[in-house]
Amino acid sequence: MNYDPMKPIWLQVATRLKRQIATGTLAPGAKLPGGRELAAQYGINPNTAARIYQELEREGVCATSRGLGTFVTEDERAVQSLRREMAHDALEQFLEELSGLGMTVGDAIDLIKREESNNDHMQTTDEEVRQ
Amino acid sequence: MLKLMKYEFRKTWYTKAIMLVVTAIAQALYMIGLYGERDGALLAGMIFLFFLAVGSILIMGLESVVTLHRDMNTKQSHMLFMTPNTSYGILGAKVLECGISILLAGAFYFALGVLDFTLLFAKMGELNTLWEYVQSFLADFTINGRPLVFDVQTMSLLTFSQLSGWILLIVTAYLAVVISSSLLNGKKLNGAVSFFIFLALEGAAAWLTRAVTSRIASTAVAMTTGGLIYLVIAGVMYYVSALLMDKYLSV
Amino acid sequence: MITCRQLTKKYGSKAAVDAVDLTLEPGHVYAMMGPNGSGKTTWMKMAAGLVRSTGGEILYNGKPIGVESRRHVAYMSTEPYFYNWMTARDVGKYYQDFFDDFSMEKYEKLLQRMDLDIAAKVRTLSSGMMAKLKIAVTMARDAKVYMLDEPFNGIDLLARDEIRTCILEEAAADKVMVLSSHLVEEMETIADWAVFLKNGRLVEMRDLEQMRSTDHVSMADRYREIYGHTEG
Repeated sequence: MNYDPMKPIWLQVATRLKRQIATGTLAPGAKLPGGRELAAQYGINPNTAARIYQELEREGVCATSRGLGTFVTEDERAVQSLRREMAHDALEQFLEELSGLGMTVGDAIDLIKREESNNDHMQTTDEEVRQ
Repeated sequence: MLKLMKYEFRKTWYTKAIMLVVTAIAQALYMIGLYGERDGALLAGMIFLFFLAVGSILIMGLESVVTLHRDMNTKQSHMLFMTPNTSYGILGAKVLECGISILLAGAFYFALGVLDFTLLFAKMGELNTLWEYVQSFLADFTINGRPLVFDVQTMSLLTFSQLSGWILLIVTAYLAVVISSSLLNGKKLNGAVSFFIFLALEGAAAWLTRAVTSRIASTAVAMTTGGLIYLVIAGVMYYVSALLMDKYLSV
Repeated sequence: MITCRQLTKKYGSKAAVDAVDLTLEPGHVYAMMGPNGSGKTTWMKMAAGLVRSTGGEILYNGKPIGVESRRHVAYMSTEPYFYNWMTARDVGKYYQDFFDDFSMEKYEKLLQRMDLDIAAKVRTLSSGMMAKLKIAVTMARDAKVYMLDEPFNGIDLLARDEIRTCILEEAAADKVMVLSSHLVEEMETIADWAVFLKNGRLVEMRDLEQMRSTDHVSMADRYREIYGHTEG
């Protein structure tokens, strides 16, 4: 994993883990690597690794049972709210970039609609080719 | 301490092995000369063996001092000084390893010498005259101006004081090297300075010993006292060296 | 824990380490940073007991550095230092003879991971292989303080990954790790504190994650700020 050394490392790894949970790569109830293992896996300091789980737990994304380890939450609602939260973050980032390019929210919506119809068009073309 | 001595030996075994091989060759030469009736080989063998007997001790002492210098002034110093060993232990192991090697070498060459002379006179068929011959040859030797008496007691005391003398010589060299490595570190002419320090220390030790023993009448007591004084001075120098290493040595 | 108070090492009139006050606590990985000549190596050597200070003091768990501290302090210097008549196995046996905390098993495993032949003669090792050997033998100890001077120097990418993993696996709540390296990028994620030395003096000690969140700078940025030449 590549890091941006100007931003807190724990945050970057935490975000990646949250994405994996949101997309289902890490299934609900899946066991997460132990703190030291996480550190070795991601090449980060063990204290930083410990902090990651602290934060994720605080956000209700995972839970630690003493002696057993840390597990992804099985609470479906928690995962869904995580998805919403990450989608929201992605959207914010997208809108910020577009505003930097001088585009309004209206322009953004047009862009999205055009992108959608392009995709449909490409799908239809694929089907025609197949026939 | 034993572990340290093990490694001191391993640092120097190569030279010792070479000397052993050369001794074997010289001995072979001697045997060929003796039983093959070749005077040239016999003489050559005898001369080489004599030089080896004296030279081996010199070489081992020198190598020990050079190794100490290397162990304090090159990067391999980390090996010794990173370990949880005291300076006393480190230096003590060197003194012991060298001392024991010298003792063993002395005993070895002495035994070899006895064997070779016995063979020589056995071949010549006249064992009786061997002792008279040796005695008359050695009657010219004196110690402190007094004639040497060749009995067991005198010989062992002589050996004792000789070996003590060698040990003192080596420890004096150690002290000189330690002084130059720890107190005079980094300065130029390091080697020359150590050598002069060595000479000064050795001179002082010899003077002190002579001052005490010249007043003693009996040869036996004089040699014993001399040997003991050597050892005491060596002990003091060892202690001072270790102290200097502890307080002032940076590697 | 390593503490030093006004620690100084002078060579003639020049101070390699100049009145440094520092405390390194267990449970952290310290990145000791600074250009060549800033005092990192001299500081480490004093903590290892190889160099005697000319002023101030340096303590391990409250007691002066000495025979006892060397039992628990593992130092890896930048230069090769093994006896050149040894093989890698001999080096391991030497460490085993003198360090109670050395594990031959761990050593063999590390050599394997780094692709080093245990029968290899020290004399024949390339600089890269020598660097790996030094690390392997140092990390095979279960010390309380590890000081690695340029552990990534001359090491290929894969071996660097191995070393990083090895360091992170060894880091624990009761251990102090001090690493110095010119490869600032490598150190960014491994260390949690940075110690900046300049001309033998301590400039500052920073908690890296905190520095990132409050100042929005990386350790490399801070390094440039401290050592870079100011314009104008």
